[in-house]
Amino acid sequence: MIKLLFFGRLGDIAKNAPASVDAATPAEIRDLLAAEFPALGRELHEPQVLVSVNQMIVSWNHPLADGSEVAFLPPVTGG
Amino acid sequence: MTIRIRIQQQDFDLADEYRVLREIDSTVGAVVTFSGLVRDFEAGAQEQIEGPAKDPAKGQAKQQKQSIDSLSLQHYPGMTESLLKDIVEAALNRWALLGVTVIHRVGKLLPTEQIVFVGVASQHRAEAFEAAQFVMDYLKTKATFWKQVSQDGESFWVESKQTDQQAAERWDNSDAC
Repeated sequence: MIKLLFFGRLGDIAKNAPASVDAATPAEIRDLLAAEFPALGRELHEPQVLVSVNQMIVSWNHPLADGSEVAFLPPVTGG
Repeated sequence: MTIRIRIQQQDFDLADEYRVLREIDSTVGAVVTFSGLVRDFEAGAQEQIEGPAKDPAKGQAKQQKQSIDSLSLQHYPGMTESLLKDIVEAALNRWALLGVTVIHRVGKLLPTEQIVFVGVASQHRAEAFEAAQFVMDYLKTKATFWKQVSQDGESFWVESKQTDQQAAERWDNSDAC
């Protein structure tokens, strides 16, 4: 299983999203989520949204291994 | 070379942080510190003031400035520390520095409280000034922090600013140092 994390405003929109899924790439997770949660799907397709796997920013086609942690990151606003 | 990166709920003391940088060793000739604070207002809903009929684009955005109740800082534990380390290391590759401290607070913060500290020690001032600005510019656009504002019983996530992005990008195009 792949653990999912949603930060910032994505956390509010993903309140009912599963905590983990089975998928081969972050893009596949995005498709699975979009099918069930269209509003979340739209947000995840925003070009500014980044994805990380095990805390490294990766491309949406990055291969996932069982037990990976995938996080969806809206534009950051610290400082 | 002294690198200190801390993410914490509690406040920090400017004098203490300055002292640590100053006392790294006797070759320190310059210490630049930056501290960011919670402003007591955020630009709320923007109201467009209509410009002249001939050129509506000249209208100005009027900002409704309202006091905020508090700010909540969320971050991605582990990844944030790692990204901040990358940013500091990029600064070290660019300038001759003797010490860098980055402190970022998380959790609930009230107006006028300190949020962030960046301090840089070097032999000469130019490196310290530039590196401090570089670290802040990258922190604002790369480090995994998100601000949520509470105002009049409602809360909203702060939008990222194009100007912050541009501030970070100018370092990509700069061949200084």
